[in-house]
Amino acid sequence: MTGPRASGLAIYCAAAGAMALLPFLAGTYYLGVGLALLSWIALAQSWVLLSGTTGYISLGHAMFYGLGGYLTVLTWQQWPLWISLPAAGIAAALAALLLGWPVLRVRGPYFVILTYGLAELMKFIVIDIEAKLGKFGRLLMGAPSLETLYWIMLALALVATLATYLVRRSRFGAGLRAIRENEEAAETLGVPVVRFKLFAFAASAFIPGIVGGVMALRSAYFEPFQAFNPVTSFTIVVIAMIGGSDDAPGPIFGALLLVILQELLWVHAPELYLIILGLVLIGFVLFVPEGLHGRLSRKREVSADRPRERPREHPA
Amino acid sequence: MADLFSTQLLFAALVTGALYGLTALGLNLVYGTMRLLNVAHGEFVMLGAFAAYWAFTLADIPPLVALPFIVLLSAATGLAIYRGLFRGLLRNPRLAERIESNSLLLFFGLSIVLQNVAAALFTATPRALPYLDSIIRIGDLGMATDRLATLIIAASVTLAIVLFLRFNLFGLAIKALIQNREATLIVGIDVEKVQRTSFALGFGLAGLAGGLVSMLGQISPFMGFPYMITAFVVIILGGLGNLTGGLIAGLLLGVLETYGVALTSTNYRSILIYGVFILILVLRPQGLLGSRRIAR
Amino acid sequence: MTLLALKNVGIRFGGLKALDDVSLSVEAGEIVGIMGANGAGKTTLFSLIAGHQKPDSGRILFDGRNIAGMRPDAINRRGIARTFQIVRPFRSMTVRENVMIGALFGAGADETLGAARQDAARILDEVGLASEADLPAGALTLAGQKRLEIARALATRPRLLLLDEVMAGLTPTEVVAARDMIRRLRKDHALTILIIEHVMTALMELGRRIVVLHHGLKIAEGTPDSIAASALVQEAYLGPPAA
Repeated sequence: MTGPRASGLAIYCAAAGAMALLPFLAGTYYLGVGLALLSWIALAQSWVLLSGTTGYISLGHAMFYGLGGYLTVLTWQQWPLWISLPAAGIAAALAALLLGWPVLRVRGPYFVILTYGLAELMKFIVIDIEAKLGKFGRLLMGAPSLETLYWIMLALALVATLATYLVRRSRFGAGLRAIRENEEAAETLGVPVVRFKLFAFAASAFIPGIVGGVMALRSAYFEPFQAFNPVTSFTIVVIAMIGGSDDAPGPIFGALLLVILQELLWVHAPELYLIILGLVLIGFVLFVPEGLHGRLSRKREVSADRPRERPREHPA
Repeated sequence: MADLFSTQLLFAALVTGALYGLTALGLNLVYGTMRLLNVAHGEFVMLGAFAAYWAFTLADIPPLVALPFIVLLSAATGLAIYRGLFRGLLRNPRLAERIESNSLLLFFGLSIVLQNVAAALFTATPRALPYLDSIIRIGDLGMATDRLATLIIAASVTLAIVLFLRFNLFGLAIKALIQNREATLIVGIDVEKVQRTSFALGFGLAGLAGGLVSMLGQISPFMGFPYMITAFVVIILGGLGNLTGGLIAGLLLGVLETYGVALTSTNYRSILIYGVFILILVLRPQGLLGSRRIAR
Repeated sequence: MTLLALKNVGIRFGGLKALDDVSLSVEAGEIVGIMGANGAGKTTLFSLIAGHQKPDSGRILFDGRNIAGMRPDAINRRGIARTFQIVRPFRSMTVRENVMIGALFGAGADETLGAARQDAARILDEVGLASEADLPAGALTLAGQKRLEIARALATRPRLLLLDEVMAGLTPTEVVAARDMIRRLRKDHALTILIIEHVMTALMELGRRIVVLHHGLKIAEGTPDSIAASALVQEAYLGPPAA
């Protein structure tokens, strides 16, 4: 590793260490904020695994979050956590495979359209099922402590970040980026595009499924409108855009900025929150499409005087 | 539950189908000429609906009278967006390369902003517009006047546009641009002008649909989303960029949805629409009327 | 031995028969030229062989196995690579990374990025792009991008290489250089080559056998000399002789 890279790694280790110390230092409120931060990191890293690499933009990632949450809630107090949470992730991944297959076989804007409406569709299906079961919102008794959930979320964020980091430097990641650059050419060069897209989609669903489960336990309450909230999908996209969707540090930057923005606005102007977020998205797409991390790493490359590929723009 | 074979149900299906065809036409115009996926299309329907509502509530202007102004206003907004946003994007060569996906996120952001600005200004409570409430009876078919007006207006506008595209020189230029961008450039057509007009027209049609919808039921700042999803399914059903295909598909989907909901229940509406979407993709991704040249 | 055999292959788009009952075979190690006016069906032929389209009728046998209808990536892994008439580089990636994609996937897929980097370096040397290896692919000249197409295709370790108008837009000097490079690559990599060209001199010099397509039909096949002398071919290109 060259100089700048090594010090970058040191910073991230320090940050991870700081997050690990939080439960011992912070009160309940800030622990909750830390939990939220970690959840956004985990969600955004997973989203980047598909949409940052292949350019197939998922506008409805909340569907995996909600699905995982629902499954965790259904099996609560019947299955131990260490089974139900991974199962939630696996179920989300399987759903991605099933739903992705018809759309990822063909090129075109179909994937976006599908994901955009699918979260809403799933919401209505779950509401229907819940109504038939006679349930209108579920209360969870004896949910784990905030601290336990925090440790789980920390692990999820670390795994998700590691996944993005490794994929970016792997043969699989190279194939995914080739798909984004020119899918037809990639296929002609032997890249198994359909298989790779499906796998990336399923992989991007796994952790969000588990995150959904953890957050359902956090609030100790499950309600379909909250679980499948389109704002979740929207926030994930914004985080990836403002932070950068090219490499692992991007979503971390983005999540940090978002949480700061949230904390500021909720105190002073909650109605404006989504409007501002939308304007931020538009602004970044127009002026900083590579995200903050992309912008910073470009500056670093220029100053290191090394010829390098153009930083990838977002997320297409 | 209405009798399945009644003319009543058929009438409802036609009204829905005509409305779907209209919204899809607007979307198809923008997508066909510029390959831009306007995910904010539904929000412009919503804005058109609110414009009609406020015109009626504040100034006593009936929706039918307000319609032409709403169309013009929507078209002008579309033009402004075209100039503002896309001049900005297209000037940056790196972004121009990625225009298709970047535009997606731009429109996505726009749709969120519009929804929430509307919610902040108008509150999220649904509102309704009491207008043309009377019913015309022919035999045992009872047609609400507002629905009849919607059917007539939607049908005549779409017919006018189809004729325009077929027989008017500028309309043919639009068709040409949709079919083959490079060839259109080569034969000397002012592509920029055609694009601009299609964009404005697309937005104008969204506003028109919104104005019509305001008469039919409740409106709210978040009503646009289902219209957009349905419009997308319609244009995929008819073949992306295929304008007449979109109209036929709109009618078809309206019929399918009305009868499907009649057979099951309104809760199944989304499931039906998505079912159709996925079925088409599995069986015939180029749409019912699209060309074979779609990628495998 | 016959490496590629097309038997009665046909495909139509809408009302147009793009290829009509075309049969041809290619022996291992040959260079076969394909010529024909625009719209004759040449690129469609390549699309069918490479798997981008599925023929309506007929079979395409590669090494004895029918590959008609298989997906392009599967066909590539079996040993067929193609270049595109309108180049499709991975613009944001460097020249080196472009070639690495071919090396990582394709018939002789490398497992690691390191091995792919080495293979890519070797191939870039062979096509003369070594000095541009770290430039973004979008920054190359057209001639460079055409060489990149070939390099990428080569990296997939094909046995059969389909070259689609790689000389279009090149100056006469560049054409000669390209022609020599193709000959050299064929020898060094034991390739069989199908080449579409409009640049007649190069086509006639490279191809041991020429196939002529016209409106989707194969109208002639033979040595370059016999094709040049053929009245049928002349009529197809120039129209009927003046009365």
